[in-house]
Amino acid sequence: MEKLLKEKDEKYIKELFESKLDGEVELVLFLQSEGGDKVTKFNSQYLPYTEEILRELTALSDKVKLTVYKDDKEKEKEYGVEQISALFVEGKNTNKNVIYYGIPSGHEFSSLLEDIIDASKGTTELSDKTKSELKRITSPTEILVFVTPSCPYCPRAVRTAHQMAMENNNIKGIMIEANEFPEWSQKYSVYAVPKIIINDKVQFEGALPEDAFLENVLKGAGKIILE
Amino acid sequence: MEEFANIFVAEEPVKADSKTVYDIVIIGAGPGGLTAGIYAGRSRLKTLIFERLSPGGQIAVSDEVDNYPGFPEGISGKELTDRMEKQAVRFGAKIVPDEVRKISKKDNLFELETASSGTIKCKSVIIATGADPVKLPVPEEEKFRGRGISYCATCDAAFFKDKIVAVVGGGDTAIADAIYLTKFAKKVIVVHRRDQLRAVKALQEEAFSNPKIEFQWNSVSEHVIGENKVEGLEVKNVKTGEKTVLKVDGIFVAIGTVPNSEIVKDIVEVDERGFIKTNQNRETSVSGIFAVGDVRDTPLRQVVTAAGDGAIAEFSAENYIKNLKLER
Repeated sequence: MEKLLKEKDEKYIKELFESKLDGEVELVLFLQSEGGDKVTKFNSQYLPYTEEILRELTALSDKVKLTVYKDDKEKEKEYGVEQISALFVEGKNTNKNVIYYGIPSGHEFSSLLEDIIDASKGTTELSDKTKSELKRITSPTEILVFVTPSCPYCPRAVRTAHQMAMENNNIKGIMIEANEFPEWSQKYSVYAVPKIIINDKVQFEGALPEDAFLENVLKGAGKIILE
Repeated sequence: MEEFANIFVAEEPVKADSKTVYDIVIIGAGPGGLTAGIYAGRSRLKTLIFERLSPGGQIAVSDEVDNYPGFPEGISGKELTDRMEKQAVRFGAKIVPDEVRKISKKDNLFELETASSGTIKCKSVIIATGADPVKLPVPEEEKFRGRGISYCATCDAAFFKDKIVAVVGGGDTAIADAIYLTKFAKKVIVVHRRDQLRAVKALQEEAFSNPKIEFQWNSVSEHVIGENKVEGLEVKNVKTGEKTVLKVDGIFVAIGTVPNSEIVKDIVEVDERGFIKTNQNRETSVSGIFAVGDVRDTPLRQVVTAAGDGAIAEFSAENYIKNLKLER
């Protein structure tokens, strides 16, 4: 396969990682071979590209490692993998809860870079108010963010969900690339992105400012909004 | 234009300091605000840019910008504004991801109430809050928004592969959207209330020669039809009164913009549609408040005009601040 990252982009990422990364980050990628129970005509074409882009990316820093599990049912179960490809960003402040289903390409590639930096440092840039409000969530809470790679508003929503997951490991922040999972998208009537669904209860479309996003997450988690 | 990996990592967000008196606070990080930020940074003024969503503004959703000088092959809206952002940051502009909710003036200082940065003080304000798309004027808009009605072709086109979609509007955005949508949809019907397009000729020519694009002239949208998602668009011919139902799965709307002027519309003069009135120096009716880009009463809303506004407004704001000092 031809290289996916351009030379100038590689140089940029290398320098970015050198200046920003602290602790090690593991990218855990789940794949299946042709014929696997989660391989469809919609996601199969993307799988080799997903693997390739992550190989190229993780070659750019000693602090970022790639682990690939292919057709590994046990590991899929351990991580709670729902679809293929699944990518988990594992760092200081995560616990199998910062997730990408489908390829993180287009605008979402930047989301991944920023996630890696946050997971390496173990911190996020969410406001102090958001961080303290998130502490109130004590039961499992799932934030689904449906995206397309060509949507410039989507990374903001993905990042907010992932940062929230990093702040509170009861939260799973899940990006879903809508093209690869049409059934999943149809289940939630996704015709516009970003579409965000919290615990199957609360849903909204479009990029919202952090405080409004938080309000929806708290609502979805069954927390009454204070103030 | 499609990049496999569209790379742009924003600088770490800056926090606004409620103890500092800033020279210029720019509200909005689209082309107008970012250009003002570039100029303010080069003037070494203490500058903040507030952005409530993500930098780039409306143009960030344009697949291809072909009329911004200096990019002969065209450039995607997102990449263009990413470059502007980098340039502003290079000269010291600080972009704060927060929303300004209220502006008040005390003596010669402005106080800006923000969502999470407290109250910020500054000597001058540049309003660069832009505009949002006008909603499709049908009773069913809210019901079907996100269920077939879309305001972002680049975001949502992929959901309409091999489907039939309508584009409502006849300006540059509508026609560029129609052309982009032909990469996905099997047919695109442009619904326009007049019998000719308002879009620039270059786009018109491209649309007219595209076999996937059809036109429904002299037609206005009356109703959106469907159970749980869009199944059709009922249009009325404004000349004959005849009603037609177009069987479409998606409706992309580009019929103009509404200005984001809520936070200042009670302070500065706005026109009947809410666009901020400015003079040639981009000054509003309140001295020390300037307005640029799509939010102001301008005859042309383009990246290049917003950028031009940004430069003029920063120049005017700088002069305004200098005169403030002289008064003391």
